[in-house]
Amino acid sequence: MLFGRKQKNPIKIADKGVVDWKYTTCGYCSTGCSIEVGLDEKGEAVATRGVASADVNRGKLCLKGIYEHELFKLEGRGETPLIRDKFYEPFQKTDWDTALDKTADEIKRIQTTYGRDAFAIVSTGQIMTEEFYTLGKLARGVIGTNNYDGNTTLCMSSAVSGYKRSFGSDGPPGCYEDFEHTECLLAIGSNLPEQHPIIFWRLKQALEKRKFPVIVVDPRVTMMAQMADIHLPVTPGTDLALLNSLAYVILEEGLADKEYIEAHTNNDEEFYKVIEQYDPVTASKICGIDEDTIRNVARTYAKAGAAMTIWTMGINQSTHGSDGVCGINNLNLITGNIGKPGGTSLSITGQCNAMGTREWSSCSGLPGYRTLEKEEDRETIANFWGVDKEFFPKKRGLFQTDIFPAIETGQIKGLWIIATNPMTSMSNTDRIRKTFEKLDFLVVQDAYQDCESNQYANVYFPAGVWAEKEGCFTNTERRVNLIRNVIKPYADSKPDLWIFNQMAKRFEQGQKVKFPETSSGVFDELRELSKGRMLDYSGMTYDKIEAQRGIQWPCKDGDEKGLQRLYTDGKFQYPDGKAKLMPLPFIDNNERPDDEYPFWMNSGRVVEHFHTRTRTGKVGNINKFSPTPYMEMNPDAAKALGIAHGQYARLTSRRGDAVVMVQLTQRVSPNMVFIPFHFHDCVNRLSLGLLDPHSRQPAFKQCAVKIELANDQQSAALRNKEARGF
Amino acid sequence: MYKIRDDEPKYAFLPDTAAPERNRYGEKIDLAAQDNALLGESLNINNDAGVGENPNRYKQHGFYFNADNCISCHACESACSEKNDLPPYLAYRSVGYVEGGTFPNYTRLNISMACNHCDDPVCLKGCPTRAYTKYAEYGAVLQDPDICFGCGYCTWVCPYNAPQLDTEKGHVHKCNMCVDRLEVGLKPACASACLAGALDFGVTETTPENREQLKTQIPGFPTPEISHPNIRFQQTKTLPKEMSRTDSIDVKYRLNDNKDAYVPVINENRANTKKSWNLKKLLSSHENAHIAFTLSAQTVMGAFLLLLCSQYLGVEALSVLTTTAKWPLLIVTFILMSFGLLKLNLHLGRPHRFYRGFNNLRYSPVSREIAGVSMFFAGLSGYGFFSLFENSFATFMMNASAVVAVLGSVIGTYYMYKLYRIPARPYWDHWQTASSFIGTTLSLGGILVVTVGVISNGVSASAALIEITSLIVIAGLAIELIGLVTHARDMKSAQHEGALSHFEQTTKYGKSYWLRNIALLASISVVSAIYLLGATHEAFLALGVLSLALIMTAALIGRALFYVLVIPTTMPGAFFWRNKGFEEHARETGLADMPQTGVVPDSH
Repeated sequence: MLFGRKQKNPIKIADKGVVDWKYTTCGYCSTGCSIEVGLDEKGEAVATRGVASADVNRGKLCLKGIYEHELFKLEGRGETPLIRDKFYEPFQKTDWDTALDKTADEIKRIQTTYGRDAFAIVSTGQIMTEEFYTLGKLARGVIGTNNYDGNTTLCMSSAVSGYKRSFGSDGPPGCYEDFEHTECLLAIGSNLPEQHPIIFWRLKQALEKRKFPVIVVDPRVTMMAQMADIHLPVTPGTDLALLNSLAYVILEEGLADKEYIEAHTNNDEEFYKVIEQYDPVTASKICGIDEDTIRNVARTYAKAGAAMTIWTMGINQSTHGSDGVCGINNLNLITGNIGKPGGTSLSITGQCNAMGTREWSSCSGLPGYRTLEKEEDRETIANFWGVDKEFFPKKRGLFQTDIFPAIETGQIKGLWIIATNPMTSMSNTDRIRKTFEKLDFLVVQDAYQDCESNQYANVYFPAGVWAEKEGCFTNTERRVNLIRNVIKPYADSKPDLWIFNQMAKRFEQGQKVKFPETSSGVFDELRELSKGRMLDYSGMTYDKIEAQRGIQWPCKDGDEKGLQRLYTDGKFQYPDGKAKLMPLPFIDNNERPDDEYPFWMNSGRVVEHFHTRTRTGKVGNINKFSPTPYMEMNPDAAKALGIAHGQYARLTSRRGDAVVMVQLTQRVSPNMVFIPFHFHDCVNRLSLGLLDPHSRQPAFKQCAVKIELANDQQSAALRNKEARGF
Repeated sequence: MYKIRDDEPKYAFLPDTAAPERNRYGEKIDLAAQDNALLGESLNINNDAGVGENPNRYKQHGFYFNADNCISCHACESACSEKNDLPPYLAYRSVGYVEGGTFPNYTRLNISMACNHCDDPVCLKGCPTRAYTKYAEYGAVLQDPDICFGCGYCTWVCPYNAPQLDTEKGHVHKCNMCVDRLEVGLKPACASACLAGALDFGVTETTPENREQLKTQIPGFPTPEISHPNIRFQQTKTLPKEMSRTDSIDVKYRLNDNKDAYVPVINENRANTKKSWNLKKLLSSHENAHIAFTLSAQTVMGAFLLLLCSQYLGVEALSVLTTTAKWPLLIVTFILMSFGLLKLNLHLGRPHRFYRGFNNLRYSPVSREIAGVSMFFAGLSGYGFFSLFENSFATFMMNASAVVAVLGSVIGTYYMYKLYRIPARPYWDHWQTASSFIGTTLSLGGILVVTVGVISNGVSASAALIEITSLIVIAGLAIELIGLVTHARDMKSAQHEGALSHFEQTTKYGKSYWLRNIALLASISVVSAIYLLGATHEAFLALGVLSLALIMTAALIGRALFYVLVIPTTMPGAFFWRNKGFEEHARETGLADMPQTGVVPDSH
């Protein structure tokens, strides 16, 4: 005591009474942080902490992870299955048998009446790998629809497509440890501090030990851009021109790794022909980055002993997302930066198990990076599952973004949505709303019954969330990590695995095919099916995964550890073992600002929210950082329109309108605004979402809008408030 | 004791870095060397009698913030709120920001701030209940919510927004430095959670690994002179000359002429120059209890002192106050004072703990004010009570009560004024606060006396009273006027938040401000007319009622402006969190009804 009382009361510090910590992996983004959930004496989840010995996060968590224990008891959790004939009728509570029977009957009815593909399934990146695999078995091997895809089309589809086109297979070749070895980092459309704070921390740690140049390409001055040595505020949607031009300079100035190109790539003739058209002068006119800067960046990158590129939605969510990924791969192939420490093309994935669905869900083909197009793959899986190989289609069906237009035009009559919320996440909200109305039957399976897509459901399945279940996630660096079951599912909700298995039983073919009841039983199938393949799981077991806090694939049977990097031997997955240098002509098909719609509209994530806020929108201690939508707008542009800081503005695009609160900041250019994408009835009322020709991923981030001051501020505030169910 | 994990990461442990003997303010960093009686005591954390083995247990600790690195990821805030199990509507640690430059040469400077466990803890010194203690252990300034009665004075005096008035629970709570973690050698939860190499913690005046500066100021951070906070900064990157806040306070920070600090100035790009009334906001402020209390206390003191002048100084013109008007005046003053005290008491988060207001006479102007006003009230009541009896004891007691009342009013008024001389509230930190309080005492006291006198005796019998009180009222109004003119001039040219307060006074509340000014000037004229024309003039009654209305209007609006206009020297907020403007908006629109908005629906 220096000042104050002599008689002191005991100091009271909150004690949550944790008696047991259980091991899991975070269920938000794809960083793949190991988390322990603290249970109190009553067995309630009351705390979370990062696992100190986990290599990924080393004891750290971002704010979403810090509050993840609150997920289990959030408002809006589904308690029992719900059922109704028409979406405009009120839901009735029902039991699981009724809900499952009804759904199975509807699937059969629709398939019998309109054909097998008239029933579609739209899945997610949120559930466990074992569940994805089981859903794939159900969709491909039992229900037999070819219109089965995941919401990963909205986030990582371009990365998948780009990897496949360049390397012959999906699979991010690098790892976080590459930050420790690289001599130059290029981050394109990746805002780590906001989207992947733990990966940012890993980067920052590496930079504290050893400084290397960081180059950030982003139309906004994000915190990532601010900490960069060079920031390229590129014109939205033109990064392909920039990438081509970087390749141009590297080739022109003789900075390419000719040996590597010679030994490990082909297709260079066509590639060179396209690159020749992207000299920095030409490119600078397209992408808005001056010639000198392009040359400087190209030289810095090419001269670095090891250089790596990371990217996220800035590349993926554009009309040439797949090409952008190939452009990045080109850059790394011509500089010999694939498969070596500090040299890689590392897509920073979005959802906790986007990788799991890419690997095992059969959405785009068959499990274990197998394709429908290869007879050998169809045969292997048909035999393994015990179905007729002719039951499989010979070509993949529609992507998620093509499923909705097919509903609109009547080819698809029934839909099963699993842990995704297209009413908020898809472009052109009003169009999606109308699309939903056209369905004969919609079943929504989600942990939260207040997710907006449930407004159109005929049946609702309440699913368990995150550590109410057991299974694996694969993270951005191909690390398979384990979620132990921490508490039992809320009320009468059930694990997704259980729901899929119950559904399978209701089909004749499902009774013949083996559906293991436990996730570890399913995991054994994954180990077997992956043996000897690039994504080899055969050396993993749950206990081993937990002990190592995640294992990177490939991990061959008998191997103690997984491999950190792919393609270290320069052998790629194309039959000739070579990577392809892709010729990538840039076609500017974006909806660019014009006289009528003079602003670029850009969208993206904020750190406190995840996807459509069905979780983060209800956790007060994180939602409070942005409880309502806002728009970053340049003060000079706002002044001309008479819009002041904190007022509501109305934005209009060729699709619709939205009302947002204005945050004036010089972070954005005078002709661009930025709106977080998480909020219902907001940014996607405006977005166009033009589809990438290869990946079918929508260009959420580029469209044109006009802006005006909302003439009645009070009714604008009310309109905004009413759109916030949570 | 706090449990360390077997695999606790290295970054979570406190470094054992050698510290200088004294900090830059001349204070010893080793806090217990000179007072060994303090050594080896348990902190009794949650009744645990253990004593931590941290080798630096008695050294002043503090936060270290590398402003170059903060990315506003909220991990520190969340780790803090999670550990302390805090509701969404308040936080011990918050990240706000200032920004400057022009696209793409734009810089956002995020600032994460909690309690700075100051060398000179203004919270501790201000707290009337002695809820605060500065411990020899780590130099932690800890607050005990079980003692606090929720007056919120600490939230006024702290420049860093550290104490949190929990309006739901009715008390304040704040950062506890995670002393439970310190006891076992771990850094606080916030510093251990930092994802950008920005927030750190250790013995004050020591530089963490890989850092080079030990600055005491960054743009947006209040001057360290107020409380000698235990926080040091690194900020090496060149910043734009002007850094603006994004919250609703239209302040930006501009590099001063010496180029060594950023000073707050009005953000004229954003500030709205439209003149408005804003009466609703003005008169429904959260500080209404203070308006009621200060005005009624000052009125009663003025009136009662005039009564005593009549009795003890034998001022002939005031003689009605001790004769026919005595009892009406005593009753009115008693009721008015009771009303003021009741309002003051009820504004407390925990009114039943009112008696704790005297606990900190040693340091707190609030305690002294409460003591003074209580003395005055006791004197006033005693005077009234003992004047009911006619014996020498009663007379003695009456006289003694009068002495107590005079002393109480002097002490009470002085500390009522002193408590507003808060360096973190520059709009109040001016002698005008005193001139206003004295002016009000004279003008409202005089008005009360004359009103009661006229009602009890009629106009003609009160002529002498009217004449002398007119002079007193004019003097009071003139003192108020001189104070206001000087205050306005000083605020206008000030390089602190007071300049914005003055700007808002003439814009956002501009019409109300001018109404007050006109009422004040007009009341001086009308009372002067009364003095010159005398009570016998036929216009007296009309002029009297007019002057009453004008003086009351000026006093009420003036005092309301005093409270509503103060803009504290404090940490910049973010666009939603720690933004007063958004909080008000969320309450008005009903967004605050969703608890996850993080805004208490109605704080009263």
